[in-house]
Amino acid sequence: MRGELWFGLILLALCGAVAGLAPVLAPYDPRAFSGQPLERPGPAHPLGTNDVGQDILSELIYGARVSLIVALAAGSGTVLLGLLVGGIAGYAGGWLDQALMRLVDGMMSLPRLPLLILFATFLGSGLPQTIAVISLLFWPTTARIIRAQVQSVRERGYVRMARQFGASPAYVFFRHVLPAIGPLVAYGLVTAAGNAVAMEAGLAFLGLGDPLAKSWGLMMRFALNLPGLFLTDRWLWWLLPPALCVTLLILALTFIGIGLEQNLNPRLVRRWR
Amino acid sequence: MGAVRRFFAYLLTLWVILTLNFLLPRLLPGDPLAALLDPSSSDYVYDPQVRAALAAYYGLDRPLLEQYGHYLLGALTGNLGRSIRLNRPVAELVAGRLPWTLLLVGTALLLSSALALLTGTESAWRRGSWADRGLVSASLLLANVPVYFAGMMFLLLFGVRLRWLPLAGGRTAFAQYASALDAALDVGRHLVLPALTLTLAMLGAKFLLVRNATVNVLGEDFMLVARAKGLPEGRLKWGHGLRNALLPFVAHLAAHAGMAVTGAVFIETLFSYPGMGRLIFESVTARDYPFIQGAFLVVSAVVLTANLLADLINLRLDPRLREG
Repeated sequence: MRGELWFGLILLALCGAVAGLAPVLAPYDPRAFSGQPLERPGPAHPLGTNDVGQDILSELIYGARVSLIVALAAGSGTVLLGLLVGGIAGYAGGWLDQALMRLVDGMMSLPRLPLLILFATFLGSGLPQTIAVISLLFWPTTARIIRAQVQSVRERGYVRMARQFGASPAYVFFRHVLPAIGPLVAYGLVTAAGNAVAMEAGLAFLGLGDPLAKSWGLMMRFALNLPGLFLTDRWLWWLLPPALCVTLLILALTFIGIGLEQNLNPRLVRRWR
Repeated sequence: MGAVRRFFAYLLTLWVILTLNFLLPRLLPGDPLAALLDPSSSDYVYDPQVRAALAAYYGLDRPLLEQYGHYLLGALTGNLGRSIRLNRPVAELVAGRLPWTLLLVGTALLLSSALALLTGTESAWRRGSWADRGLVSASLLLANVPVYFAGMMFLLLFGVRLRWLPLAGGRTAFAQYASALDAALDVGRHLVLPALTLTLAMLGAKFLLVRNATVNVLGEDFMLVARAKGLPEGRLKWGHGLRNALLPFVAHLAAHAGMAVTGAVFIETLFSYPGMGRLIFESVTARDYPFIQGAFLVVSAVVLTANLLADLINLRLDPRLREG
């Protein structure tokens, strides 16, 4: 079933193109007060304007940049931390493995969202902080998957052989283990990125986002802050588009993840048919 | 044995949470008073003498260890601090809001579990059919759509477009109820949309879990024996299939409790539901740090307790776990 993978990749590429070409595509500077407040959609503003007169379509287009940056940065941050801890635990084994896995268990039993809110509150609401907080809280899931795979790779014949010939742990790890778990890392990256997008939008939605980086989540928050938003049909062009964009980006990453997972584990395909 | 060990792990995690909550504002740059009163808030104190007096009032001039002991003692006796925004004890505020959240989360947990068990087993029984494939795809979608998006769609469809159900709140404002039944009906009507959203948000993941577990069980040898004995189909499906698939399901209940809390924060915000989530949202907006900290403690404690309960239930259900 290659359909999912391609569907996801095309959607993601589309989102990337919009983000990259934002200055060309957007009719206005998203921060400029280019119209009257709360204009209805018209030829000048295809999606109308927000409560301070900024063009909603331009905000939407530039918002893709924020979401993609978060997806890439927080996704890689999560995977790097997970790779580090999971790799060491799986490769070293013994007491180090035990200690690290206790840490992972402990962190996984903590309720994530309240913790995320607490950290975001005290660290302040900038994009770098958001990225750091997401990476710090979500790496244990990746670490656990990586550890299991590293453990099994470590005992494979050619890896044992290399070790017995006196290869250093670093050599074995980069030469043999890393390539073997590569597909798993790619899968972890995609799922972590999807999760990061959802979390960033959620934090912004709750008022803990970077006020200077107008993301899709922040757009939703400003729309919902307008008293009586639902009494007119304003939500149709102000609230719905950013919500739809976030959902599509998450779905794109999810579909890529499903596609990769099926490549990793052919049994899944049979089971789902 | 297992139960005792799990209980100690629970206490340890609780302690980590308590300590984190204490240390975080103190580790970060600026004094805890700065964390108490945000410089950007209107009632920020500039006078250094007043600040010193305030610090003494809050006990911030004492040694860190003494503060920590004081804090732990307070937390254990239910003293969670005082909300700056509402100028009331955090514990009192939480007590007023927690029942609403428990009602919302409890309803959604029950509904989604029942639905997931029914459809998951049925889907596994007919695996490969069109119905099964459709359900799996739909669940994958459901499990990955952000909960606030699903909530928005419901809000717009049933509240704004069709006007079947109330848009916001936990009950009608200023309502005078003729009877208790009337009041219950009103609360129920307000519960429908948020609970439905939360149910759907949890349904996807739960369905996939039940289905996979049941598919695995259906492939076991004892299923073949049961079939050879000529047991009726219903007995095979529910008595043997579902019953064994319940184990992984219960094991994941703990994770689902955390998921439900996450969902509740967004859904209560979206539907202006008067629960903990909404209050947390309002406090974040007002930078009401003491309340955020208190609420964090309560929510974490509730989730951890749910985890412990699920663990203990699982221990009773599955004798294999008791040995290890």
